[in-house]
Amino acid sequence: MSDTLTADVIGRRVEVNGEHATVRFAGVVPPVAGPWLGVEWDNPERGKHDGSHEGTVYFKCRHPTGGSFIRPNKVNFGTDFLTAIKNRYVLEDGPEEDRKEQIVTIGNKPVETIGFDSIMKQQSQLSKLQEVSLRNCAVSCAGEKGGVAEACPNIRKVDLSKNLLSSWDEVIHIADQLRHLEVLNVSENKLKFPSGSVLTGTLSALKVLVLNQTGITWAEAHAQCGGSRHGLDMQKDASKFVDLCVLQKCSTSNCIISAKDHTSMWMNVAKVLRCAAGCPGLEELYLESNNIFISERPTDVLQTVKLLDLSSNQLIDENQLYLIAHLPRLEQLILSDTGISSLHFPDAGIGCKTSMFPSLKYLVVNDNQISQWSFFNELEKLPSLQALSCLRNPLTKEDKEAETARLLIIASIGQLKTLNKCEILPEERRRAELDYRKAFGNEWKQAGGHKDPEKNRLSEEFLTAHPRYQFLCLKYGAPEDWELKTQQPLMLKNQLLTLKIKYPHQLDQKVLEKQLPGSMTIQKVKGLLSRLLKVPVSDLLLSYESPKKPGREIELENDLKSLQFYSVENGDCLLVRW
Amino acid sequence: MRECLSIHIGQAGIQIGDACWELYCLEHGIQPNSVVLDRQQDQLENAKMEHTNASFDTFFCETRAGKHVPRALFVDLEPTVIDGIRTGQHRSLFHPEQLLSGKEDAANNYARGRYSVGSEVIDLVLERTRKLAEQCGGLQGFLIFRSFGGGTGSGFTSLLMERLTGEYSRKTKLEFSVYPAPRISTAVVEPYNSVLTTHSTTEHTDCTFMVDNEAVYDICHRKLGVECPSHASINRLVVQVVSSITASLRFEGPLNVDLIEFQTNLVPYPRIHFPMTAFAPIVSADKAYHEQFSVSDITTACFESSNQLVKCNPRLGKYMACCLLYRGDVVPKEVNAAIAATKSRHSVQFVDWCPTGFKVGINNWPPMVMPGGDLAKVHRSICMLSNTTAIVEAWARLDHKFDLMYAKRAFLHWYLREGMEEAEFLEAREDLAALERDYEEVGQSF
Repeated sequence: MSDTLTADVIGRRVEVNGEHATVRFAGVVPPVAGPWLGVEWDNPERGKHDGSHEGTVYFKCRHPTGGSFIRPNKVNFGTDFLTAIKNRYVLEDGPEEDRKEQIVTIGNKPVETIGFDSIMKQQSQLSKLQEVSLRNCAVSCAGEKGGVAEACPNIRKVDLSKNLLSSWDEVIHIADQLRHLEVLNVSENKLKFPSGSVLTGTLSALKVLVLNQTGITWAEAHAQCGGSRHGLDMQKDASKFVDLCVLQKCSTSNCIISAKDHTSMWMNVAKVLRCAAGCPGLEELYLESNNIFISERPTDVLQTVKLLDLSSNQLIDENQLYLIAHLPRLEQLILSDTGISSLHFPDAGIGCKTSMFPSLKYLVVNDNQISQWSFFNELEKLPSLQALSCLRNPLTKEDKEAETARLLIIASIGQLKTLNKCEILPEERRRAELDYRKAFGNEWKQAGGHKDPEKNRLSEEFLTAHPRYQFLCLKYGAPEDWELKTQQPLMLKNQLLTLKIKYPHQLDQKVLEKQLPGSMTIQKVKGLLSRLLKVPVSDLLLSYESPKKPGREIELENDLKSLQFYSVENGDCLLVRW
Repeated sequence: MRECLSIHIGQAGIQIGDACWELYCLEHGIQPNSVVLDRQQDQLENAKMEHTNASFDTFFCETRAGKHVPRALFVDLEPTVIDGIRTGQHRSLFHPEQLLSGKEDAANNYARGRYSVGSEVIDLVLERTRKLAEQCGGLQGFLIFRSFGGGTGSGFTSLLMERLTGEYSRKTKLEFSVYPAPRISTAVVEPYNSVLTTHSTTEHTDCTFMVDNEAVYDICHRKLGVECPSHASINRLVVQVVSSITASLRFEGPLNVDLIEFQTNLVPYPRIHFPMTAFAPIVSADKAYHEQFSVSDITTACFESSNQLVKCNPRLGKYMACCLLYRGDVVPKEVNAAIAATKSRHSVQFVDWCPTGFKVGINNWPPMVMPGGDLAKVHRSICMLSNTTAIVEAWARLDHKFDLMYAKRAFLHWYLREGMEEAEFLEAREDLAALERDYEEVGQSF
């Protein structure tokens, strides 16, 4: 729509046949005459080159096929907010299209639309619109000042995702005019944050801010903002509401950063946070898929945030979480698909509660790399945790292990009320805790556990691995020995008695060792021995003695009874005479 | 005018009812103490406000004190579940006389629900119904919530329906019935109860929306990330669908504004009154805002089997009638485009004798979800009600299970002891076989 290629066209977001791109260059590209726009596509494979043509570099792209040159008239610069709303919601007065109804059929029968006319009339009353969705409507600016406020002041929720908004300023120009705005979604817009200006209004009613896939990366932020000077200011205004979101700046904490020039950065970060008046009432913040890297602790922003969604940000690691650990109202934290494998709360010892995440009630860690049980022991330290979702982690992946995993998690975290969206009923908790107590009973004993509290001296190692064990012992009593006896599997070899066979009258015969089942009858034993010794069965007299009772010999006189009947045990000695 | 009375019978009916009224209150801005939220009556100039007031009337009765009391009755033959409501969050929403409980339950036995235990309570229930009906200026009809498999849900409902037809012969009766599923059932005799109740209720109901527990269980497990779906999770999802179906009754909407319209739009023959429901989008709360669902996305989705509430394959059957109700931020232009673009529509086959095809309506009131639930709030949703011959699959499955047990007369003595006769079983089974044949017949070409 803009035919004047002024310098301010650079950085604008455009759309060409459904594909979105950012303008990086405007001017002439010899030898071809006429004005050209150099664009960097969102889709890195869409372009033909990386911004250079016949040796000359006109602009830079991240990918070798990320750029193209296009004629300005083929490019859609987008439209303003108000026009977009009218396009979508207002009944077109034009006679041509709506009267000529195209009859759509499903299954050879016509589709009858009912009441569409009245709906269209209703929706045309823009001033009554409360929930507006302008996704993928090529919105690029707010339009004339005050236009939005006049036409549709009652909008409470607006979805501006996947549009052509190129800077945060534009977003503010729109949002500022909507006094009652509660939910703002600007996902999938590549926003640029200009330096300098102070924002004119705060979005005081804003409760929910969605910034998923705004895709700002460290390098881009760096490049777009023209170097390190203002590298962080991009967030300056966003930080009014968002702050933490796309800052991948260096910080004073112990994060590992692959930043290029972070000394000047961190000064700006501090400034940024200080400038951030904050959206006073922001409750929910969504930052999915942004390659975010938390670098600084929010001191007076985000203090009212209840829900923080950091899913699919692979650069997040547990150390960064310390920076958001003191948000006072944070109740729900979503860390799905972030590659997290462990969590630590070093300020709390075993069995104590941490001061971090004081209000956190619901934690989501699906699709991560959790493979250690110690993860759940750490979660036990959270003071308010009530619900946990932990699906599709290496630890809980296999189906047959899932049930055991569930019981172990329940037993490890005492105050958990809901796991994987299933309420934990008291019976289930009891079963889980008893199972846990029994499963680790032997370990407990070996680590120094004892029923008698005086004699109970558990190793540090055990206490770290099983912090709740003591508590379970108090609740259900220390595990008894009989509970802990491991059942020998019922295999035949476990039921065989290893017996020595001695021949008291024949001193030159060697002592044999044989394995016989306890259920073998004396008759059969005699048969076996008779074949061995070449002595007829009727001549054999058997008895046995046990090392437990030396000197006492017990006669095995009833042929029909088994060795078990006579309580012959492992290690006893059979005495054969003939 | 045009009031609807909801009757919730048995454990399933009551638990669904509890969730249902909670959602309705949320949608209409009614607090747990029956008072309308101030926020809805704020300074916003909104012509819809008038509509809001009007819509209260269909489902809520306004008392002189300004409280809005649901037009509902909760009935069970044993007190435990109803006590849950009496002591629950919404206890002040209902008048104590609306919560009726007996002392001895039906023990998953149709015969007890219908004959022995049920007959003791029926008169009281009818009396209360009369009282509620008197409060209505122009009662349209009844919405009955119950399960097929339970004792009260099957037996007592049959008894009640018979008597309601006697007393209110001109009023429409719609049912929301829970079809039994092995994964969540606790009773082996559910097939018996289901067949018996279907036989006795079919002639008294005008339209039955079936909800297969198995289908909903799968949806909760796969799409919502619920590890072991409990009744609570399942009910929350079912209630979203119920809300969509009744949306036009409660808010000004174009399609299915009257109970009788459901009949005229969806039921070609009196016995063929079991539409299949599909609902989209179903998004987990943990993934809110991760994906955006446009009008065309949800239109395609509702033709998918994973979004159906009854397990059957519509591609194997023929459609006799279908309604698509959009809800929320939906623009007519987009609906037309979406429908034209849906590839799945080519696999839709209608019966020859039906002149009309799909009916599509939009209700601009946004869908709401219960806070703390499994579902994410979405901008728009769609509910598809289709009367398809493919639903006969569900009956076939049920009949098969019935036959397996009946062949051996297994568990029959529980019913015979309460005074039933084998003849009734045979009659019921015959009736369902006839129903299956009816479906086959309507699906045939000329």
